[in-house]
Amino acid sequence: MEFYFGLAQIIGIHVILGLSAYVLMLTGQLSLAQAGFFAIGAYSAGILTVLFQFHIVPALIIASLVAGLFAFLIGFPALRVRGLMLVVATIAFSEVVRLFFFNLSWRKTIDGIEAGPDSTNGFREIRFFAANGWEPYQVTLFVWLFVALVMFLIWWSDRARSGAVLRAVGEDELAAHSVGINITAVKVAAMTAGGMIAGIGGALYAHTATYVDHLTFTILLGTFAIAYPILGGLRSVFGTLLAVVLIQGVLVEGLRALGDWRNILFGVIIILTMNLKPGGLFDTQTVQALRKGLAFRDKGAPNA
Amino acid sequence: MEDFWIEAIELTQSVIDGLLFGSTYALIGIGFTLIFGAMHKLNMTYAAASIAGAYVGLVVFVFFSAHPLLVFAVSSLASGLIGLLVYLICFRFIPVNNHLAALMATVGALFFIDEVIIHITNASPLAFPALFGAASFDLGAVWIRGDLLFVFAASVASTAALLYVLYRTRLGLATRAVSQQNVAAQLCGIDVHRTNATTFVVAGLLGGIAGAMTAASVGVLSPLLTLPITVKGLIVTVVGGLGSIPGAIIAGLMVGAAENVFLYLRGVNERDIYVLLLLFVFLVFRPNGIFGKSINRD
Repeated sequence: MEFYFGLAQIIGIHVILGLSAYVLMLTGQLSLAQAGFFAIGAYSAGILTVLFQFHIVPALIIASLVAGLFAFLIGFPALRVRGLMLVVATIAFSEVVRLFFFNLSWRKTIDGIEAGPDSTNGFREIRFFAANGWEPYQVTLFVWLFVALVMFLIWWSDRARSGAVLRAVGEDELAAHSVGINITAVKVAAMTAGGMIAGIGGALYAHTATYVDHLTFTILLGTFAIAYPILGGLRSVFGTLLAVVLIQGVLVEGLRALGDWRNILFGVIIILTMNLKPGGLFDTQTVQALRKGLAFRDKGAPNA
Repeated sequence: MEDFWIEAIELTQSVIDGLLFGSTYALIGIGFTLIFGAMHKLNMTYAAASIAGAYVGLVVFVFFSAHPLLVFAVSSLASGLIGLLVYLICFRFIPVNNHLAALMATVGALFFIDEVIIHITNASPLAFPALFGAASFDLGAVWIRGDLLFVFAASVASTAALLYVLYRTRLGLATRAVSQQNVAAQLCGIDVHRTNATTFVVAGLLGGIAGAMTAASVGVLSPLLTLPITVKGLIVTVVGGLGSIPGAIIAGLMVGAAENVFLYLRGVNERDIYVLLLLFVFLVFRPNGIFGKSINRD
């Protein structure tokens, strides 16, 4: 049972990570900086609960704000460039963050034990949940509370004007600009929102894993973050959820019997999906097929 | 005063080693730039394919104890073949205007190649042969490593060959036509798919040489090399200016030299931070790179 709670926590955290990339991708930009914001969230929240004895909730909020602040600051120079240049700029950012934590050492003695980030040895003492006697199911509920909150906020703003603005910039920047949308403001806002969401994900990750080090936050994590929305399709947040369940649940955990081979299978599945369904698994076609199959009457959903 | 001179000599030595090793970055950067120029898409598999090519070369070395020159040639050919396969599975059948899908497919291929290498070699680094490893040229205070000099010479030769193909042959003419104006090239009777496939093969040939050279100058071949080379190659491409071959050459040498200088000044843990910050300086003050045109910004 413990194992399934652990798996549910991983899936929840990766949904948050994927959604943080999803927001910026609606504006047509691809950012590999999510691993960096995730790392900032993880380390800030860990430092707050371990070194300053904060409760998890304020630590989460502060970590999210810190990651958001960095996303905002990095947004201005980074979003001057687009496409490939942005990919490279964000890879560089996230590597700088990783190397910063690789070199960061901040040890303090708390309750008789030395704790804190210890450069290459990682940050080992993030035991808030265990120290306060949280049961695994409570931790899982806590994680999924934030997953639900983030999913609802994005789903809701996607249906409101803000979603239309983001998608307008993504479809055609020039057209969006000519109807009076401030492109830079929209992109930086999306980057900041993505950074805040990734910060929450990182903070949750640090506390469920109890141990983080720089190797967790490589470019690989950033690629996973963009892989979920692309595989799931940008039509709706549920596509991202589906992709995370598929990759983390089925591939990484479900096929353990295959040993090393499942990682090879992972690459093959990505390539096949992109060739057969370039718009993602949860694209308009799939949704229509589902609607027909379930005989679900469409009552004028705005983006059907 | 004496300390100062020792310091200055050490620094010069770092710059020389860095410049020579930077020629492999230049080759990888040229490959990225070529593919980007042809398709306006990013091929994330490129560096992994180069390393995979070097592994095929290593097979020839281990099982037939071939001469290092033959090892380099086999690496190059294998990487060219992998380039063709990558084009077929990641670009050929995905809609042209869907940049995300193609990018993601190349990431999938990157995972695939990486995992196959890890699976076959158990992720342990393997020794790679170098040419003139023992030789060195004394230039008074500083000296030049023989193997690095060979790496540099091979990079220069392959770049020269590439420039000849691009600017003196019909194949190069077609490649340049497709990269400048896709539709117009098609109207002139150029088969775009075939030209793109050829570009991938040519880029792959270069990448295989770069992969083998990197392994030869590091001394070992390991799957851990793929990500750093991908990152360095992308940095070189951006700093040099997208689609610019001279830019990629200069940026490659620059990144190689800068990396070694920071290695000497700040140690191995902090080296890459400064190289990446250098990239940010370029993005802020010269977003189009050294030679990039502003049209090529996307």
